[in-house]
Amino acid sequence: MTPSPATHIAFVVLAALAVLSGWRVFCTDSMVRASFFLLLSFIAVGGIMILLTAEYLGVAMFFMMAVEMMVMALFMVMFMMNPAGLNPMKMVHQERVAIVAGVAVFGVLSAVAVLGDFPDMPLPAEHAPVISLGRELLGDSMLIFETAGVVLLTTMVGVVVLSSRHGRYGRADEGSIPPGLEPGGEPAGQPKESEEEKGEEGGHAHQHHH
Amino acid sequence: MILDQLILPWLLAWLMAGLGAYLVAVLDRLMASGSAQVGSVWLAPLASAAWLMTQQATTTEAPDAPAWRLAPALYLALAAIGLALVPWSPTLVGVDLSTSLVLWGSLEALATVVIFLHGWSANSHLALIGAYRYVALGLSYLLISMFVLIGVALPAESLRLTEVVAAQASLWHVVSQPLGLPLFLVVGLGLTFWGPLNLADSADLSGGTAVERSGPPRLVWALARAAMLVAFSAIAATAFLGGWMGPWLPGPAWLLIKSLAVLVVLLWLGRRLPRLAPERCLTLMWVVLLPLSFVDLIWAGAVALWMA
Repeated sequence: MTPSPATHIAFVVLAALAVLSGWRVFCTDSMVRASFFLLLSFIAVGGIMILLTAEYLGVAMFFMMAVEMMVMALFMVMFMMNPAGLNPMKMVHQERVAIVAGVAVFGVLSAVAVLGDFPDMPLPAEHAPVISLGRELLGDSMLIFETAGVVLLTTMVGVVVLSSRHGRYGRADEGSIPPGLEPGGEPAGQPKESEEEKGEEGGHAHQHHH
Repeated sequence: MILDQLILPWLLAWLMAGLGAYLVAVLDRLMASGSAQVGSVWLAPLASAAWLMTQQATTTEAPDAPAWRLAPALYLALAAIGLALVPWSPTLVGVDLSTSLVLWGSLEALATVVIFLHGWSANSHLALIGAYRYVALGLSYLLISMFVLIGVALPAESLRLTEVVAAQASLWHVVSQPLGLPLFLVVGLGLTFWGPLNLADSADLSGGTAVERSGPPRLVWALARAAMLVAFSAIAATAFLGGWMGPWLPGPAWLLIKSLAVLVVLLWLGRRLPRLAPERCLTLMWVVLLPLSFVDLIWAGAVALWMA
């Protein structure tokens, strides 16, 4: 089956959107904007996957990437010294390495696309993308996906522990105290409160404050 | 092809969104009839909409311009896409994707992004607090919704909404999966931040993400929330109440009646349920309702195996 003109137009528009928004990720000056430009790029790629009749993977792309980019933006804001993600910040680092790597990867991928010899295999009429994907995920590739799943879960638990309300200076909802300027010293930049506050080890484990 | 693939879904979605949002405003006023009413219940929504249309759309100092302009329209678009997915009868479906249930799930996920951007882009502290509050809560709504919807897809052995309806021919999911609809209704109130779950645009934040909104964009934002509530009711009626199925009347009429019933229940719950502080609400979602959605999924799987 040859694709209709509408499919071609949709592909060109989505591909342009994916490349343009992907490029904007590196031009913007904010973690939140960069995350959502990346989301826009992924949504366009998801649309292209639907055009390729990967209906489940395309729609799952919208779903996964929306949550993922939202959570990514949230965790970046939680871990960076950038209140609420409002301050401008530079989003590109190690530019020389990145440019070389980018040009090299682009060269290899375009060589594959232009010089590669792709097989001409029309889809079978009874092609069921959701069922075949399910068989693949819980069949031959199960070990790979389950391993990746457990690794990701471990990472998530670690990240939640690191950003939980028991922060590095104590529990957030009990008032946290910064460490002293020298080991065992008084909390830096705090007004004097009471005698028992002194001598705590670097403000660690400040459970009984207030 | 252009008629039934472009114009029909477009018409279905926008008719439902426009009429539905008006109906939400009217019903909500009717339910509030205990308190003092000014003017006609039927004309008051139109009057306040017309008033908003004549007002100036103010802006803040240095907002994130694209997100600030687009957020209300994007939320309305998400509601309209949701309405286009609803099957009115075995043949009358706006967009009959083989993965329409997953697309509905992704609309819920994208709604989180849009609501966050609405508050974040305003460059105003109360709007910002509303935005971050919604993200914290929205992620828990998403998880509950996902498990409940997987439970609905299990007996149908399909992610297509028309097949989910067809799988309810012998018994509606509201009976065979008793936990599903109540949990889904909570998700519906959360996703549209309606009633007690309105913690993003709440009064304690002077209107939260919408605090800086005025004029036509504010109207679009209100319309979008109401249209999303309508889309939610229609999807709930499809997934749990047998969609178009019923005796005597044609399919679309049954779907309208069932969606209206779910909408009335949602609005009533929105007026009757108590409010919780955001952090306690988050605990309720993760500690009580999310495990209940696991139970619902296990139950749904067991019933599907037993009935197969």
